[in-house]
Amino acid sequence: MSEHNAFSNKLKDIYQSLFCQQWPALTGGILLGLLSILILAWSRPWGIVGGIRNWADWLFYGIGVFSEKPMNAFLHSSSVMDMGLILGAFASALMAKEFALRIPPKIEIIKGIIGGILMGVGSSLAIGCNVGAFYSPLINLSASGFPMMAGLIIGAYIGLRCILWELERFPPETTGFVATKKEQQKGFDWKASQPWFGTLIFISLVVWAYLYGSLAYTQIGGLLLFGTAFGVVLQRCRFCFVRAFRDPFMTGEAGMVGAVAVSTVIGSVGVAILKWNGFRNESVYVVPAFWWGGLIGGIIFGIGMVIAGGCGSGTLWRVAEGQLKLWIALFVFAASNSLMTAMLHYSGWRSKLGSAIFLPDFFGWSGSLILILFVLFVWYMILFWNEETNKFTII
Amino acid sequence: MSEIKSDETLDARGLSCPMPLLKTKKAIEKLASGQVLEILGTDPGSRNDLPGWAKRMGHEYLGDTEDEGFIRFYVRRK
Repeated sequence: MSEHNAFSNKLKDIYQSLFCQQWPALTGGILLGLLSILILAWSRPWGIVGGIRNWADWLFYGIGVFSEKPMNAFLHSSSVMDMGLILGAFASALMAKEFALRIPPKIEIIKGIIGGILMGVGSSLAIGCNVGAFYSPLINLSASGFPMMAGLIIGAYIGLRCILWELERFPPETTGFVATKKEQQKGFDWKASQPWFGTLIFISLVVWAYLYGSLAYTQIGGLLLFGTAFGVVLQRCRFCFVRAFRDPFMTGEAGMVGAVAVSTVIGSVGVAILKWNGFRNESVYVVPAFWWGGLIGGIIFGIGMVIAGGCGSGTLWRVAEGQLKLWIALFVFAASNSLMTAMLHYSGWRSKLGSAIFLPDFFGWSGSLILILFVLFVWYMILFWNEETNKFTII
Repeated sequence: MSEIKSDETLDARGLSCPMPLLKTKKAIEKLASGQVLEILGTDPGSRNDLPGWAKRMGHEYLGDTEDEGFIRFYVRRK
């Protein structure tokens, strides 16, 4: 075998191991935990909702509903992370030849709209979605992550009840259709060329980030690439917070619960190191939603994410895969969050959602980490036990 | 693999997680033991979800084949 062949075979090997198989959920959990530490070390914690709200704010500003001009979407840190996430997941889906426009039947479109409204309202009350109000706050040692977690569990249960009701009312039949492969008739094999487009997008993202750097927005450029990395990991693992909260009631499976728990613990240790040493301000992502904003917001968001079939992060990577139901859900989610947030702001309710509590102020640094570890361990153990016994499974 | 005879077909194309799985569960309950359900789907996640679920439930997952823009999955009821 020539040297050139050995080289290209190795490249093919790497490609196949990265993009031809789904990565295990636990791998995703570990990677997300590490990325969450690195992104805070670089600039700020991982978040989703701020960015998509910025996009909806622009829409409402454009049609004259809002008078205040929103921040430039290309300089808004959360917005740029979201762009990176969607494009990263898009490139990743193309690399894996998993991109296709998936056109949902009518009832799914309605569910996308209802789920989107609920997610928008819930994330407004909780001041974040599953990422910005549960995952990132817990990692950042904010007490608000706990009521949000409780809310998401309750909400996922109610949401699943809604879906089961729908299945009773509209039993399975021949539904849905799919975009046909018109491309092939034109003699162009779209599916086989997807990885080339994926590669092109990855290269463009790097160039784009470099441009930020050359315009002295290096930090924003870095966030674009962090978003890309989050997108790739989420898409390759099909990492799904909805699954962690819903599946224990549905199939009993607790695999995603373990992945989320491990991820949160890894992240919280890393962030504690950054904050304890004073590299980052203690108050970063200590969200003033403890406790009722988090709890009520969590319940509403939890119902919405199960009906929509995607949470904050899950909606974005599914959008990138071409799932039109989630495109609708994302649009409505962003719009309803924008309106609800404006309403909370102008009515003065935003300050009444709860208080900002930094766990180490009450439990000390090690006490806080032990508390997080303990809660997540108990959560996982109960659901692991449920996996064996199906005690909480309702289908 | 290419010649699996199915007794019923469930069209879950265009549906996203968790609907293909829930509809499969409902549909397979209507079959008799040993009968085969064919599921048409477009969600890449089903490739992992359906075999995992079938294994947990004790059904036999017979495999999947790629068709024009969708995937055919086969599950035999326990």
